[in-house]
Amino acid sequence: MFKPRVLTPLRALERVFTPTIRSTPILSQSQSLLRTLSATSTFPKTTPRPSLSALLPFSQVRHASHASQGTANRHSRDPAGKRLGAKRSGGEYVVPGCIIFRQRGSLWFPGENCAMGRDHTIYATQAGYVRYYLDPLKHPKRRFIGVVFDKDEQLPHPRNAPSRRKLNMVPVPMVERVEAQSDLVASVDANGVRVSDVKATDAESGPQLRPGYMYREANWVIGRAAEKAGITAEPYDRRNRWLAWRKRQQRAERAAQMKSLKGSKKTAKK
Amino acid sequence: MAHCERASKPLLQCLRNTYSRSVAGVQLQTRAFQTTANVREAEAESASLPFHKAPDPSLVTSPRLERRLLRQGTAPIGSRRRRAALQDSDNIPFEQLPYQCFQEARKILLADREEKLKEIETMRQRLARQEALPVEQAGGEKAKKSRITAMQLHLERLKILADINDPLVKRKFEDNEGDMSKPIYRFLADRKWREYRRKVLVQRITQMKVIPDVLPHCDPVAETKMYFGKHQVQAGEFVEARSSTTPPKLDVQIFEGGEKLVTIAVVDPDVPNVENNSFDYKTHFLAVNVPISATNTKVDLAQLLEDSQVVLPWLPPVAQKGSPYHRLSLFIMEQKDSQPLDFAAVKAKENNRDTTLLRTLQSRYHLKAIGAHLFRTQWDETTLEVMKEIGFDGAKVELRRKRVEPLPYKRRNPSSFR
Repeated sequence: MFKPRVLTPLRALERVFTPTIRSTPILSQSQSLLRTLSATSTFPKTTPRPSLSALLPFSQVRHASHASQGTANRHSRDPAGKRLGAKRSGGEYVVPGCIIFRQRGSLWFPGENCAMGRDHTIYATQAGYVRYYLDPLKHPKRRFIGVVFDKDEQLPHPRNAPSRRKLNMVPVPMVERVEAQSDLVASVDANGVRVSDVKATDAESGPQLRPGYMYREANWVIGRAAEKAGITAEPYDRRNRWLAWRKRQQRAERAAQMKSLKGSKKTAKK
Repeated sequence: MAHCERASKPLLQCLRNTYSRSVAGVQLQTRAFQTTANVREAEAESASLPFHKAPDPSLVTSPRLERRLLRQGTAPIGSRRRRAALQDSDNIPFEQLPYQCFQEARKILLADREEKLKEIETMRQRLARQEALPVEQAGGEKAKKSRITAMQLHLERLKILADINDPLVKRKFEDNEGDMSKPIYRFLADRKWREYRRKVLVQRITQMKVIPDVLPHCDPVAETKMYFGKHQVQAGEFVEARSSTTPPKLDVQIFEGGEKLVTIAVVDPDVPNVENNSFDYKTHFLAVNVPISATNTKVDLAQLLEDSQVVLPWLPPVAQKGSPYHRLSLFIMEQKDSQPLDFAAVKAKENNRDTTLLRTLQSRYHLKAIGAHLFRTQWDETTLEVMKEIGFDGAKVELRRKRVEPLPYKRRNPSSFR
């Protein structure tokens, strides 16, 4: 950015001279000096005291806010290094999850027993030794990073060789899953399956202290309130379109009612 | 009116308004193109019942009736649009259709077919002459053989070219009424299979690594379908242990003429081996000398003969709890020159399920993989019962991941960090 600063000393000079030259004929001389520099001679000579802005239309100022942004050649724009690159070299031993290569974009691709993270980091999925290799049969241009199990194994493997894998599992005696204690019991008879509840321990003894330091009934007791009260709902039949229509109408009516209420509340507030 | 019916309306009106119903059928020389099947007959037969009571599979258009037909076990024929068009059509045979351009085009096709038939005849004669020629005159054994194979290939090609433009052949093929003993229908079926299903199969067996793990290479040329009970298993599907206790039924469709003797093997390459920290192979089924042909496609692994075909009977696949899924790969292997293998010798040699490798079998008996299929199995609710039934000795054990020792923390070159 070009900021002409040549005129600054002249302006200072003028400030010094102005009170004195106001009544003196030297005025014409100093003005002519400025005029030649500023290349503007359009203002009328009859003006007793021309303003500075009119005198110097191209003079610019560098304010503090601009200066604080720094200069062009400083390295303030360069961010810190991101520590990218190889973390494990070829032949080094790695365990699953071990980061082998950090990169921006996929400069290297995951090969055997490796995977790529969400920022393209290559990490090992098996314990073994790192190999950096090309696999022209898989892809003609990509560079791969792989992990092999043996120290002297080479990658890529031949195309038709069976894949080398490890189980990495241990046998453990199977644990029988403990059935959760239920207060439901099912009885099967000629009428079909009937599910009913048994009196669980102190379910009827009234409200208990529940989490949240509340004396209340258990959730499942609350859920069975309708049953206790003898309220039955008819079973849902998706082919009963008449019932569906009535329910839909009710819902629409309710929605309309709520909408009207909402509107009236607003007006009442105002 | 359904959209399909509406779509066929203009054509129907056009057909109805024509004056040519009484045009005499053109008698054609040799084997003419077939005429359309007479749908009216079937309709007249069931005229006593209303259509919605006894829907005709070649005319039904409403989805509800189609579903009812499917439940009864008969699939509706052709597309719904075509069925809708047939409902109102007069079923005029192609040679009587009143379109001049169409008839001119048919003439060209018929002429082409005549030409092809003549070519076939001459080719047959040349082939017979070539075969009768002594070896010295033909320029050696090899030259004669190669010439004869080239001629046979060309003959097969001509047979297909003679029929490929016949609209009735196309229609029959689309209605699944094609006769697979004829080369043209085999050709069409092969082309259809290669368009999509073969691609899916090849993708499954290569992505799930069956191909380098079980066999080094396989170029499927036979379409293989697998059924457990009535359920068709797609390639790579997970199958419940309970339903795979009975051996599957196969539908192996080859697209070449002649009968073939094949070996069928089901191999599991994912048997966990805890001692070696690796995986083993297990042969779940092995049968030799199974005859298949383009028309005889059904193979029920349970129905194969114990004394002359089944080397290793079906072993229900089970996966231990926690183990990675097992790939059960099925291979149809063509025996060399369709010659039967010596069953007793094979049975005596291949008696161990764990040591029988399919690669070894392939090289030992000169087999060539022509078809492949694959299903997977993993631990589910029914596995434990099946394990107890078959006396699997790892039923009480479950596999857990082995803990990986972390690398020791190593401070690297600490002086440079300061």
